[in-house]
Amino acid sequence: MYRSYGMKRRSLVAAAVGGVPFAIGLAGCSQGSSSGGGSSDAVTLNGDRADFTDAYKLAGAELEAITGYGIEPRNVPSTENYQQVVRSSLQTESTTDLVKWWNGYRLQDLARSGGLADLSQQWESAVDKGWVNPETRESFSYDGKVYGMPMYKSYWVMFYNTNVFDEVGIAPPTTWEEFDQNNAALKDAGVTPLFATQEAGWTSSIWFAELLSKLDPQFYVALMAGEAKYTDETTQEAMRIWSEMYAKGYFTAADVAWDSEPSLLANGEVAQVPMGTWRNGTFAEAGLGEGDYSAFLLPMIDPNAAPSTIVESGVISVAEKTPKQEAALETMANWLDPAVQQVWVENIKDTSANPQVTTDDPILGTVLEAVSAQTPTELVRYWEASPPALIEGGVQYLGAFMADPSEANIMPTLENLQALADEEWAKWDAGS
Amino acid sequence: MGRGFIAMALLEKQRTEAGAGNPRPRLSLRTKDRLSAVPFLVGPVALVGVMLLVPFVATAYQSLTDDDGFTSSFIGFDNYVALLEDPTFVRSLLNTLLWTVGTLILPVGIGLLIAVLTNAVPGGRWLKYVFVLPYALSGTATAVIWGFILRSDGALNQAIEFFGGDAAASGWLLTWPTNTIVMIVASTWQATGVTVILFMIGLQAIPKEVVQAGELDGASGLRLFWHVILPQLRPVTIVVIGMSIANSLRVFDLIWLLTKGGPGAASETLAVTMYRQTFILSDYGAGAAVAVVLSVIVVGASWFYLRHQYKRG
Repeated sequence: MYRSYGMKRRSLVAAAVGGVPFAIGLAGCSQGSSSGGGSSDAVTLNGDRADFTDAYKLAGAELEAITGYGIEPRNVPSTENYQQVVRSSLQTESTTDLVKWWNGYRLQDLARSGGLADLSQQWESAVDKGWVNPETRESFSYDGKVYGMPMYKSYWVMFYNTNVFDEVGIAPPTTWEEFDQNNAALKDAGVTPLFATQEAGWTSSIWFAELLSKLDPQFYVALMAGEAKYTDETTQEAMRIWSEMYAKGYFTAADVAWDSEPSLLANGEVAQVPMGTWRNGTFAEAGLGEGDYSAFLLPMIDPNAAPSTIVESGVISVAEKTPKQEAALETMANWLDPAVQQVWVENIKDTSANPQVTTDDPILGTVLEAVSAQTPTELVRYWEASPPALIEGGVQYLGAFMADPSEANIMPTLENLQALADEEWAKWDAGS
Repeated sequence: MGRGFIAMALLEKQRTEAGAGNPRPRLSLRTKDRLSAVPFLVGPVALVGVMLLVPFVATAYQSLTDDDGFTSSFIGFDNYVALLEDPTFVRSLLNTLLWTVGTLILPVGIGLLIAVLTNAVPGGRWLKYVFVLPYALSGTATAVIWGFILRSDGALNQAIEFFGGDAAASGWLLTWPTNTIVMIVASTWQATGVTVILFMIGLQAIPKEVVQAGELDGASGLRLFWHVILPQLRPVTIVVIGMSIANSLRVFDLIWLLTKGGPGAASETLAVTMYRQTFILSDYGAGAAVAVVLSVIVVGASWFYLRHQYKRG
């Protein structure tokens, strides 16, 4: 016979402790993950994009012909888990030799932990060969040293359904006024002109960054660098434009699933989608054939402002503590080789950071033509342009604004953003 | 796992209660007997210690540090002070409270109602499976299904418009507290099945004589239910409520997949806040502090509830 009181106490402790496995699993999870090993003639590369696996292998085969080392890709499908794995494994020898990461402040965050190897020499060598634009050095650097080589160069453009444009009788706009007229015509024709959602979290930053950078690119740069304020008049103006566009019914609902974006564009329910060219491959998979869609650079809101476009670039970095650092550095020295890049970008359907590499993809061809004609200033994407904690908090406030895009909600949103910016810049500058 | 422990503890209580009418003499354990039990205890105790208690202590320590995943420094209770000053954390606490109250009223109440009604009607045995079926789905599948229903372009708004109604201008998942309430409803849809099963077992265990005695005394309908049947269901009700409390306090998957805790942080609960602080903001110290607060609340609530019930029992 059990003694009921004793049983009760024991069971209660067990019940209480067992009731929060999530909480308790936390510490266990944060202690790192072994991801080393790999065959001797290949370097391991960890990433969060399962769809890149084949492209890594193909680029690796080209690299092997040059350096003797191929690429053995690893994959953590969830971006959040991936970041966690990299953060903890970089501190150990059980890291992969190469890691996929992001440029800008996200790279700086990782670089200043001491977990990444200096790639300045490899960068300089690529610059000498004309393999990379030297002006982009800063977004791959921390404290004057380069810590990542660009994976690709994605331009942020407006993809559009050409069939819908033809039916409504409109053409890609060359001025903001034309863009607005197009949206009105699309709305009248019963098509939602523009895609926007806060559903995936980070996606709430897309329109904010587009509108602000098209209104005043220099202000955008200053704001991202913490040298201007979210409460300044220019930011207010960008938010007012956003709010008015919402009032005119130009956008999809703020909770529409981000995953449904390619199909909404493909079936013509939504006419235009602002997105990085890295999404090009996904649009093709959603059933948009050649001629069904195209892309244009969104015109400047202020006709007097010099053209600008947001550019995004993932990076590949070398782990400081990997036992195969020499092979990894050799791989990175040849990553931007045209032979490697040609295979790589053809497979991922995006543009290369190496200006010598051309593309036969018609959509990317159109984008590169527009870039070459307008020579826009290249701006770092919102996601990478400020300290990560500020961005992650910022997209929450912007998402809340998208759920209530009224004019009355502009100042409260901007005040929250500025308070967050003050706090996070102070933390960043303190190095914590 | 937590549910399992609570259910075991409570069923044990029932067993003890059931045996109360037939008391056996209590055997006093001699020291030798006690010692002979030790080898049997080592395994489970070590398992619980390594798998649960050690990580808990590590998490509690981590909550006192400023830890970004790379470096860690001891900062005392600063993380807890920062939490209290954070309006997001306060909202998160409020949402957790809403979830607790909501899941106490809805799955428990509706579960009892379905069990009683399907128990009384012919063919009810089969009817109850309709309500039990969603319990077989994972939280993730439930979230995906309800995402299709609740989004602004989803099935619910389409149905409202089809029948000539005006769909809410702002979606179900976009405004607080509507988003929290509809997610509690989605959770109820999924979780009611298990409460129905437990109440069914409870109903079937009620001796027919007791109900007949009540009927002979003139009780019927609601009166019979309230004064005769419900008191007989008490042991199983303790189990169901205990499980509901634990489930509501740790709810995560449904919220993460439907709203990510947003818009902003409007629909975050403590479990979501913990995840965001740790894995999105890489502030491991603050995340651990939320984990400790959540653990204390779960332990406290379970302990208080069960102790109270046992005292009454």
